[in-house]
Amino acid sequence: MRLLNLFTAIYLLLTLGALVLGGFFIYLKLESEIEFEVGMELNEQIDAYAARIRSGVDPKALENEKLEIQYLPFHLDEEELIIRDTLAYHEPVNRIEKQLKASKSFKINGKHYRISYFNLVIEAEDITETVVYIMLLVLLVQLLVIGFFFRRIANRILLPFQKTLARIHSFSFQKDKPLGFEKSKILEFNQLNEFLERMSIKLLRDYRQIKEFSENISHEIQTPSAVVRGKLEHLMNQEITEEQAHLIHSAYQSNEKIQRIVKSLSLLAKLENDEFEAPVPIQLDLLIRRNLEHLQELMQLRELRLEIDLKTDYTVPMHPYIAEVMINNLLSNAIKHNKQQGWIMILLQDGKLEILNSGQRLSKNPEDLMARFQKESSHPDSVGLGLAIVHQICKTYGFQFSYSNKEQVHHTVVTFR
Amino acid sequence: MRTFLQQIAALLFCLLQFTMMKILLVEDNPELTQNILQYLTQEGILCETATTCFEAEDRLLGYAYDCVLLDLMLPDGNGLNLLRLIKDRGMKSSVLIISAKDALDDKLKGLDLGADDYLPKPFHLAELLARLRAIYRRSKLGGSDEISFGEILIRTQSLEVFVHDKVLDLTKKEFDLLVFLIVNKNKVISKQSIASHLWGDYTDDMANFDFVYQHIKNLRKKICAAGGKDYLSTVYGLGYKFDENAS
Repeated sequence: MRLLNLFTAIYLLLTLGALVLGGFFIYLKLESEIEFEVGMELNEQIDAYAARIRSGVDPKALENEKLEIQYLPFHLDEEELIIRDTLAYHEPVNRIEKQLKASKSFKINGKHYRISYFNLVIEAEDITETVVYIMLLVLLVQLLVIGFFFRRIANRILLPFQKTLARIHSFSFQKDKPLGFEKSKILEFNQLNEFLERMSIKLLRDYRQIKEFSENISHEIQTPSAVVRGKLEHLMNQEITEEQAHLIHSAYQSNEKIQRIVKSLSLLAKLENDEFEAPVPIQLDLLIRRNLEHLQELMQLRELRLEIDLKTDYTVPMHPYIAEVMINNLLSNAIKHNKQQGWIMILLQDGKLEILNSGQRLSKNPEDLMARFQKESSHPDSVGLGLAIVHQICKTYGFQFSYSNKEQVHHTVVTFR
Repeated sequence: MRTFLQQIAALLFCLLQFTMMKILLVEDNPELTQNILQYLTQEGILCETATTCFEAEDRLLGYAYDCVLLDLMLPDGNGLNLLRLIKDRGMKSSVLIISAKDALDDKLKGLDLGADDYLPKPFHLAELLARLRAIYRRSKLGGSDEISFGEILIRTQSLEVFVHDKVLDLTKKEFDLLVFLIVNKNKVISKQSIASHLWGDYTDDMANFDFVYQHIKNLRKKICAAGGKDYLSTVYGLGYKFDENAS
C-alpha cells in the first residue's frame, strides 16, 4: 500500500476512534446531566407540592395526571427521592408512554404522603439524541476537512522522498550518470540522498571497471587468436602433405574453440554485470519461428520431427540481443543433443516456454549442466557454456529455468513470471 | 619470380571480371594487417593501409577508395569519427567496419552513421572477402551483377545460376554457398568459415560440420548434373576449394 494512503488511513482510524470514544462519553455525560437536571426539577416540583400540602391545601385538589399521591403507614421512614422509568398513560398522545417517575415521601401533619411526579422521557431522550447527533456531525465535517488538508500537507512533505524514488527508478548503468538530488529541509531525506549519491558513484565506477576489464581481456585474447587463424588459413593454401593437413586442422579447431570460449565467457561477464539493460517487449513466437527457419536445414539433416504450439502476441521484456541468444542456445541444444530421426516439441504459453526433445539419457545431473564448462556430450567442440548462458540470462531477468531428463526425453522449461 | 607472375596473372584475371578494387585498410594490429593484405592482394585487390586515424584521414583526403575497412579501436581515436568524416565530406567510399568490440551498440551506431556492413572480429578471411565483394557489387551502379566462373554464371540480384545456360535449382543456402566458394576461388576454405557464413552464430558450438558436407555434396551433384565441371574439391579434411584447374 502507498505511504500516503497508510498515513491517511491511520489518521482517519485514530480520529474516528477518538470521535467514537468522545461521542460515547459526551452521550453518557449529557444523559447523566439531563437526568440530573430533570431529577432536580422533579424534586423541586415534588417539594412544591409538599409545601402546598403543608400549607393546608387538600391533597385531593392537587391531583392531576402528572401527580400521584399515595398514603403510607406513618411508622415507616421518609423515603428519599427515587426516580424510575415507568409506563404510564399520557393523554395528549392518547396512549401509554415511557415516563420518568419521581417519588418522595413526606410526613406532613401526622400523615405520611408519597408524592410521585411523572415526566415524559421522550423529552430527555430527544434532547440527548439531538445534541449528540449535531455534535457528531460537526466533528465529522471537521474530520473530513482536516483529513483533506492533512493529506495535502503530508503529500507536500513527502515530495522530496517521491522525487528520490523516481530518480532511483530511472537510474541505469547505461546512462552513466550518478544520482543527484536537491537539498531538502528535512534531515533524514538529505541523509538518504547523500548516501544514494555516493552509492551510485561507486556503483558506476565498479560497473565501468568490470566492463572495461572484460572487454579488454576479450580483445586481448581475440587478437592473437585471429592472427593464428589467419596464418593457419594461409598455411592451408600452401603445398602440404596429408599429415601436415591434419596437424593444421587440429590446431585450427582448437583455436576456433578458444574464440568460442572467450566469446561465451565475455557474454556471461556482460550479463552478470547487467550490461544489457533497456528491455524491449520481445514477441517470442516470431523470434522462435525465425530461429527455426535458420536451423531448418540442420534439423532436416538429422531428420528431426518438429512440433510447435506457440502462443502469438505473447511478449516478454528483454534486450533483443539477449533474447536472440537465449532462444538460439535453447534450440541449438535441442538439436545438438538429439538423435537421428528424433523429435523436438516446442510449447509457448502465457508465461512459459517448454522445449522437449528426444536424446540420450544424461549421464550427469541435469542441474549440474547449467554450471560452466559442464558438458554432457563427449564432443570435443562442445564448449559447455550454452546452458550456463541461458541460466544466467534467466537469473538476470528473474525467470525460472529448469532442465530435466526423464526416460531419454530432455525437458527444458523457462518460466517468465 | 613465380610469385610475381602469379600476382600478375591474378591481377589480369580480376581485371577481366572486375574493375580493380582499391581499398583502404585502417587497422593498428600489424599481424592482422599482414594477414588481410596478403589475402586480398592475392585476390587482385589493391590495398593501402593506415594504422592511425590521422594517417587514415590523410589517405582519404588524397584518394577516393572503393571501400574502407575500418577498425574502430585505433590508438588515436575511435574509428567512427572517420566514418563521420567520410559521410560529411560526401566521399563515395563504402565502409565495412571490422571491430573487436562486438558490442551491439557499436554495430547499430555504425550502421546508423552510414556504414555499409559490420563484421565483428575475429572473422574468417574468406568472409571478409565475400562481404567486400558484396558491398562492391551493391555499390557499383550500372555495374555487372554477374559473377562468371567458367561455364557457371551467377546473377546475384535475381538469384539465378546458370550452367551452360541451363538454370540450376538451388536453395538459398546452396546459392550463398556457391557465391561464397567462387568469390574465394582457388583458396582452401575451412568448414568453419563456410558454416559461419551460412548460419552465422548458430553454428557456434556445433559438434561437427556434417551439415556443411551435406550442402557441398548437394551443390556438387547439381552442378555436375547440369554438365558443369567438378570444381569442388575436399582438402584433407580441412575444408573445400573451388579450384579452376580441376578437370
